[in-house]
Amino acid sequence: MATTTLTPQAATYRRSWILEWLTTVDHKKIGIMYIANSFFFFFLAGILALVMRSELAVPGLQFLDDRTYNEAFTMHGTIMIFLFVVPVLAGFANYVVPLQLGAPDMAFPRINALSFWLLPVGGLMIMSGYLFGGAAAEGWTGYTPLSSAYSPGPGTDLWLIGLILVGTASILGSVNFIATIFKMRAPGMTLFRMPIFVWTVLVTMTLILLATPVLTAGLIALFIDRNYGGSFFEPSAGGNPILWQHIFWFFGHPEVYIVILPAMGVVSEVLPVFSRKPLFGYRAFVFATVGIGLLSFSVWAHHMFTTGVVFLPFFSFMTALIAVPTGVKMFNWIATLFRGSISLTTPMLFALGFISMFLIGGISGVMLAEPPIDFHLQDTYFVVAHLHYVFFGGSVMGVFAALYYWFPKMFGRRLNETLGKTHFWLMLIGFNLAFFPMHMLGIQGMPRRIADYSPDAGWTLLNIISTVGAFTIAISILPLMLNVVATFINGERVGDDPWEGNTLEWATSSPPPPYNFDTLPPIRSERPVFDLRHKHDREQLAPALTAETEASS
Amino acid sequence: MSAQSPAVTGPNTIVEVERRQVGMPTPLLGMLLFIASEVMFFGGLFAAYFNSRAAHQGVWGPPEGAAPLEILPIALPITIILISSSFTMQFAVWAIRRGDQRALKRWIAVTLALGVLFLLGQLYDYSQLGFGIGDGIFGTTFYTLTGFHGAHVFGGAVGLTILLARSVQGQFSARNHIAVEAISMYWHFVDVVWIALFTTLYFLR
Amino acid sequence: MRRLAARPRLRTLIRTAGPLLVMLLLGGCLFPPTPETTQAKDVFTLYVVVFIMGAVVFVGVEGAIVYSIIRYRRRDDRLPDQLHGHTLVEILWTAIPTVIVMFLFVWSTLTLTTIDAKSDPAVTVEVTGFQWQWTFHYLDGDNDPKNDYSVTGTPANPPVMGLPIGEPIRLILKSSDVIHSFFVPHFLVKRDVIPFPNGINPNELEFTISDPGTYGGQCAEFCGDLHSKMTFTIQAMAPADYQKWLADVKAGKTPPPSGTPPPGTAVINLTAQNVAFDTSNLQVPAGKPFVIHFDNKDSIAHNVGIYQGGKEVFTGQIVTGPTTVDYQVPALSAGSYTFHCDVHPSQMTGTLVAK
Repeated sequence: MATTTLTPQAATYRRSWILEWLTTVDHKKIGIMYIANSFFFFFLAGILALVMRSELAVPGLQFLDDRTYNEAFTMHGTIMIFLFVVPVLAGFANYVVPLQLGAPDMAFPRINALSFWLLPVGGLMIMSGYLFGGAAAEGWTGYTPLSSAYSPGPGTDLWLIGLILVGTASILGSVNFIATIFKMRAPGMTLFRMPIFVWTVLVTMTLILLATPVLTAGLIALFIDRNYGGSFFEPSAGGNPILWQHIFWFFGHPEVYIVILPAMGVVSEVLPVFSRKPLFGYRAFVFATVGIGLLSFSVWAHHMFTTGVVFLPFFSFMTALIAVPTGVKMFNWIATLFRGSISLTTPMLFALGFISMFLIGGISGVMLAEPPIDFHLQDTYFVVAHLHYVFFGGSVMGVFAALYYWFPKMFGRRLNETLGKTHFWLMLIGFNLAFFPMHMLGIQGMPRRIADYSPDAGWTLLNIISTVGAFTIAISILPLMLNVVATFINGERVGDDPWEGNTLEWATSSPPPPYNFDTLPPIRSERPVFDLRHKHDREQLAPALTAETEASS
Repeated sequence: MSAQSPAVTGPNTIVEVERRQVGMPTPLLGMLLFIASEVMFFGGLFAAYFNSRAAHQGVWGPPEGAAPLEILPIALPITIILISSSFTMQFAVWAIRRGDQRALKRWIAVTLALGVLFLLGQLYDYSQLGFGIGDGIFGTTFYTLTGFHGAHVFGGAVGLTILLARSVQGQFSARNHIAVEAISMYWHFVDVVWIALFTTLYFLR
Repeated sequence: MRRLAARPRLRTLIRTAGPLLVMLLLGGCLFPPTPETTQAKDVFTLYVVVFIMGAVVFVGVEGAIVYSIIRYRRRDDRLPDQLHGHTLVEILWTAIPTVIVMFLFVWSTLTLTTIDAKSDPAVTVEVTGFQWQWTFHYLDGDNDPKNDYSVTGTPANPPVMGLPIGEPIRLILKSSDVIHSFFVPHFLVKRDVIPFPNGINPNELEFTISDPGTYGGQCAEFCGDLHSKMTFTIQAMAPADYQKWLADVKAGKTPPPSGTPPPGTAVINLTAQNVAFDTSNLQVPAGKPFVIHFDNKDSIAHNVGIYQGGKEVFTGQIVTGPTTVDYQVPALSAGSYTFHCDVHPSQMTGTLVAK
């Protein structure tokens, strides 16, 4: 298993593997559990998506009634965001960040375990609405007064409590990550020598720390309105339904950056490795990430342009502004590819898929940032297209890049490249078939969150294409599942550094020993393993870098 | 134990160093970050309060039939009690920093007693108010804000109880009392939130 | 070596260009419907500007990605030049996008000012959204609701809002329950319909229709079970035609949904509770109007719809309980009908016999 010599096997202290995993505080095992739990919910939410797309393919309610459809899109959104994409990226962060920092574990290992275990509990609670008279059905955004006075029954209450648990898990995790990143870096690793993935995780965790509690306050307020006669959002008692939207989106907008930044971090790790060049503009990238984090608190009301109660020019301006650091990152990535030496491995394909698809999502976002255009496109399928291009074409592509990239480190075996490439191409094609037509549907006026539409609307063909795409995505998961199972059984074994990586996780065995490192290489740049590998090749490097390395060692 | 540093070091030489703690101890950083998240939580509740108050038509205050909020006989005394408890908490921290375990126990016990007194006073105030959480927007925001503050005081009281038990067992020393420092930060935070609440509810009105 | 390099290049080109090509082919439908108000035409212009800039950015950036992947494929083990950054280039590619987005912001703010300009409306309609239909109440400014025209839609019969072209129209948007949104794709606009508390003015939407025609619309803010059925139509016509239309509909205006029935009218009691009617057999007199006294004891919405041979003969207004409402049902000829709740058609159903 390990290729280093000093691996103390706890030979005299055996316990069952179930007990081991249930009680572990090891960030690597916790990270793997996060990822496994998240993919379980990914499949659930994906099935809900297939159910919706099957119903919507042609006009008429074929096999669902309105309410069941409404529960489906509510649960799909809630599960995908809170129980898949945020936790799976937190899981990769959990596994990778201590390794990339050269640390033996997270700052607070027991809180790390607590953060994980709250997730399946919260997730099951959210879903349990189905068993108690109907799941929540007000959309993942749960606007009042629909969700307060007009949705009786336990489904919404279970949704609220489950989300409070999941949010608490996030907040505890964010405390852990920020403390770890500031206090547990290996000697020599200044902040500007941290891997870029760690930077994106740091900003993400700061957003979680500061934004999620506001959601918690809102969820509690809604619970009080629903169950204790509260009037936060009740117009007849002096409450304002719009207050919910402000509270929700003040969290909701940083939330979408929480979803995208770690995936951008993954892409920023993968692109340099498979271009054999450093990330272009590391410092600018760090400032762009921090800038996005700060700005993300100032744009929330662009989700509320059509409410008529928002100061439009301010939010339009700030939203336009936040496009700039995002664009800078795009150019940094392309400049990394430019004049590189590119290998199209599966993780690289997903990273390239990310930047191609996220570009489209970014452009549609800039369109939505203009209030007059938003008046037409808000609450239509154009927004559904936009959010899926950034969430799926962006974050989920980043998640799969992370999976294929770090799987060998986690399990000591590399996933099969042919199956991986099949997964990628089927997913990319299916994704574009499913979601590109939605731009057109929205532009033509098809609203979102409708269980059915008129046969005279002219929307049928595009809906059929979209459904075909959705099923293609589902099919693309098959080579992935086959790949994972086959690799666990008999996959190609790898050593410490199968990809010629740059960062410290590749300086230890695959998988690492429980304490992570026997020795650490000297850390003089953001690519310590690259430096170690090329210390004899200094004539290849830029002279300026050579001088800097000599001077500081 | 620091080994003899070798005369020549290259990139792969292993050198043992004695790590000195640089900057804030990790558990305190953790508590500070947690407090930051709590500030945002109360921020959300305060935002709801101010938003509702700004949009309100008519006089902002308890509903018809209930007396207006007064700082006496309860609100001001419990404020003084809570502020005093922050002082006694700090006395406890200073005590253990000089290694005085007896004073530590004494001041933690006093702080805990004052905190419990605050909670009892708050509950008594609730019973005298004449309106509830379901009585209009003022009732809802008032009880939500003060209620969650009270819950946080209760959480702090639980922490203080654990500190008291540990200090009675002699677990703290001048060099090793990080939990006391961390709980004291939390306790001061809870006090600051109350000062903001008290000012908002009873003076800004 | 060269042949090996050539084959992957073509394959990669097809694989990357393929999905993009498909997207381009479908690209014809990336423009909004024909704008039919003066405001919509301004929005359409802004849209075209933003779209073109987006398309240029897309082609340029996506092209750079595809070019780099193909041109810089790994051919050997030589390490490429390890360029860490280039300050001038980075400044340029920060400054230029900033200028571009600021330009878009300014243009969009100017468009916003134009389309939001208020004027003296020729027609004012109070639009009330409720779960799950609309009421259009034409205000004539004399504060006398008895001579106003008002129409309330049903799921089977969405309401029609007749309007004159070429004159400013003002809609006052009110909600009886949850947040809805008034959306007309051909007007390139929507505005939320919000149940504000007392003291906050309802949202208003103003526009001037430019061409006659029939323009569909529907609710665009998810509002519960039958959100997808909450449709309406706007019928735009020349001002003279509009005056005639208004007079016509006023003459045949529908009676208010509830009121005291004339003496001698049969009153049938029907209760809805726990998503079920209290009876699945109703008997009513044939050939005479009658009243269904409907008691919705649930806190969710129900109604009563009467059907024969798949066709709707009567649809009662959907009401959210607990509440009661009297449905004035027109005379039914003798025979067998079915009735059901339009919100819960499979769970709440029964037979109605008229004789």
